Amino acid sequence: MVKKEMIAMLLAGGQGSRLGVLTSKVAKPAVAFGGKYRIIDFPLSNCINSGIDTVGVLTQYQPLRLNTHIGIGIPWDLDRNVGGVTVLPPYEKVGKAEWYTGTANAIYQNLAYMESFNPEYVLILSGDHIYKMDYEVMLDYHKAHKADVSIAVMPVPQEEASRFGIVVTNENGRILEFQEKPEHPKSNLASMGIYIFSWKVLKEALLTLKDQRNCDFGKHVIPYCHEKGQTLVAYEYNGYWKDVGTLGSYWEANMELIDIIPEFNLYEEFWKIYTKNDILPPQYVAEDSVVERCLVGDGSEIYGEVYNSVIGCGVVIEKGAVVRDSILMQNVVIREGAVVERGIIAENSVIGARTQLGIGEERPNRVKPSVYAFGLAVVGEDTVIPPDVRIGKNTAVTGKTLPEDYPDGVLESGETLDKAGDVQ
Amino acid sequence: MRAVGMILAGGNSYRMKELSNKRAIAAMPIAGSFRGIDFALSSMSNSNIQKVAVLTQYNSRSLNEHLSSSKWWDFGRKQGGLFVFPPMVTSDNDFWYRGTADAIHQNLDFLRQCHEPYVVIASGDGVYKLDYAKVLEYHIARKADITVVCKDLPSTEDATRFGLIRMNEESRIVQFDEKPMAASSHTVSCGIYVIRRRQLIELIEKSIEEGRHDFVKDVLIRYKDVKRIFGYKIKDYWSNIASVESYYQTNMDFLKKEVRDYFFRQYPDVHSKVDDNPPAKYNPGSKVKNSLIANGSIINGYVENSVIFKKVFVGDGCVIKNSIVLDDVYLGDNVYLENCIVESRDTLRANSRYVGEDGIRIVIESNERYVL
Repeated sequence: MVKKEMIAMLLAGGQGSRLGVLTSKVAKPAVAFGGKYRIIDFPLSNCINSGIDTVGVLTQYQPLRLNTHIGIGIPWDLDRNVGGVTVLPPYEKVGKAEWYTGTANAIYQNLAYMESFNPEYVLILSGDHIYKMDYEVMLDYHKAHKADVSIAVMPVPQEEASRFGIVVTNENGRILEFQEKPEHPKSNLASMGIYIFSWKVLKEALLTLKDQRNCDFGKHVIPYCHEKGQTLVAYEYNGYWKDVGTLGSYWEANMELIDIIPEFNLYEEFWKIYTKNDILPPQYVAEDSVVERCLVGDGSEIYGEVYNSVIGCGVVIEKGAVVRDSILMQNVVIREGAVVERGIIAENSVIGARTQLGIGEERPNRVKPSVYAFGLAVVGEDTVIPPDVRIGKNTAVTGKTLPEDYPDGVLESGETLDKAGDVQ
Repeated sequence: MRAVGMILAGGNSYRMKELSNKRAIAAMPIAGSFRGIDFALSSMSNSNIQKVAVLTQYNSRSLNEHLSSSKWWDFGRKQGGLFVFPPMVTSDNDFWYRGTADAIHQNLDFLRQCHEPYVVIASGDGVYKLDYAKVLEYHIARKADITVVCKDLPSTEDATRFGLIRMNEESRIVQFDEKPMAASSHTVSCGIYVIRRRQLIELIEKSIEEGRHDFVKDVLIRYKDVKRIFGYKIKDYWSNIASVESYYQTNMDFLKKEVRDYFFRQYPDVHSKVDDNPPAKYNPGSKVKNSLIANGSIINGYVENSVIFKKVFVGDGCVIKNSIVLDDVYLGDNVYLENCIVESRDTLRANSRYVGEDGIRIVIESNERYVL
């Protein structure tokens, strides 16, 4: 008989629309992070480091990159005879076909998967946070408190508490009340979207709420369990945890890795983060180049100057090019003499010679001012930017652009140039 | 593929000096992220050879660790696999491998049970990319008994540590001198052979019967005029790492763009065991010129014309010139290195100075490391 004490369900189907063109062709969990990683590497590595060897990954939005990245789970040691990693896309059923309509609905549609492992506990994770966490310790806490549901929470500054889902607890950690983005928060403990359910409780709740539209953990399942009088406890987590939901926070989280001793340290022997390595060779730094305060991925070749940046694998920065405060993903090419300031450049893109990116005055983006902000210039994947053009701040460029797409060779701050049909 | 692979990785060479105290040559780290044997293994995998035996003997622990899983080279299929064969005491053998022919002889059962008609024999100390399928094609077209892969060295290079070959106009080998005192030719054997499996079994059985144990001397050279032995020339990069100087030079070759492009950017790729290290990190004050830096390294000091392997820590104020720093080395602040090879897992104390005055200095220190 197959039996696993705890299995994990990782929600990785979301688009992450606030990441703009970065997620136009990949799901948010598959977005590159920290030079050689993808965001989903963090929860997956946490799972295997916590001794959880059975993980269902729920995919829906643009799953190709995610699927090829996960494969059969070799990088995380999740290629197992029993259990291991399983990608769970939505599927057609007798008489109907249905997408995943909400977080809990997605889990509900995979009851059979969970059932096949006879678990005692189910861990619900999302694939869009950067953190290291031992879920086994959380499970111990869950057991010690004889809880039905444990919710991981972390203290946030009181003045920011109204941006989060807040839980109010008594002195034993038992949850008394929930407040969703409250005007007057009664506590500063914010839910991290990480839950441990006792299996029977979860199953019962999902079956009861199966007809709930857009069934969601935060909005429906947790309140249901609470109203039913089940034991909900808060597990307080005090380590590094970063939501990389916006371009600003994504950029910031990358930049924090460059600190001399970063708060989130990838160089610790304990609690390694695993990822799929496509590129093996070492990086080459040429005679007249400058590389200062940078993370640089394998196989990159640097002939120009790079400051304060996170450089992915297989990147080429040609002679005379200058890259500052930027994130370059895998296989990006920066041609001779180009300048990139506060840029986020997605995979396989090419920046033409002497082109300047991220210059000029700051002006809000005309199409999506809340997405393309923070003074960043964002370039989608497989984009080509011709030589000798100038691109301002709070801009987005995708697709194979030509010199005539830039009137007078300029894309002003706040403009969007979309030749790939990526900006909705 | 119609061939089975055999890699002779048991050897040691006094020319490696102290570097071989720690590992067999086939396990020597190369070019930041690879090991000697990766090139033979990757070439085999890329030529669709599915079954490979690695014969090990000398100091094989490090090599075994590297070969602990066959998945990195995409072996480990239902058909075929990666096999590691150390010498073994049996009811009718209680010797170590007494030579290359003896090594094959002790594993003759493996060859007998194969169904592939040909065998590709390679060594673990060559740095190259080779499509063995092309060599096999050549072998069949020439109706050869044995094909020896060879390479023309520049006449400036000392060829006397190799087997030297002279061929006639139809590429048949007419002269073969093993490590002669004076170089008779500049075409050297790369230690890569293609031979029909049954032919190999027959030749090896006969040699052992006669008490002969060396494949080159007792098979290749002895049968030179009886069997049809042909040479196949490698036109692209090939280098042997079995001496300290050539090991150093081979690593330094990777600082050349054309060598890097050939190995790293052109099809096919070289595969190796993956270590889960974070990207390399350059802290304020670091300065790197014309160097290779592998993943997991943290650079604070000055590095020039050097190859820095994985997980190396370079402290503040360090100066590293023309040196090779192997995996997991910790350099305290203000270390000065010039013309050195620093052995893996070393810890060099702050303010120490190592210079290779005439030639390459091998630095081996086993200081305690205090890190948080």
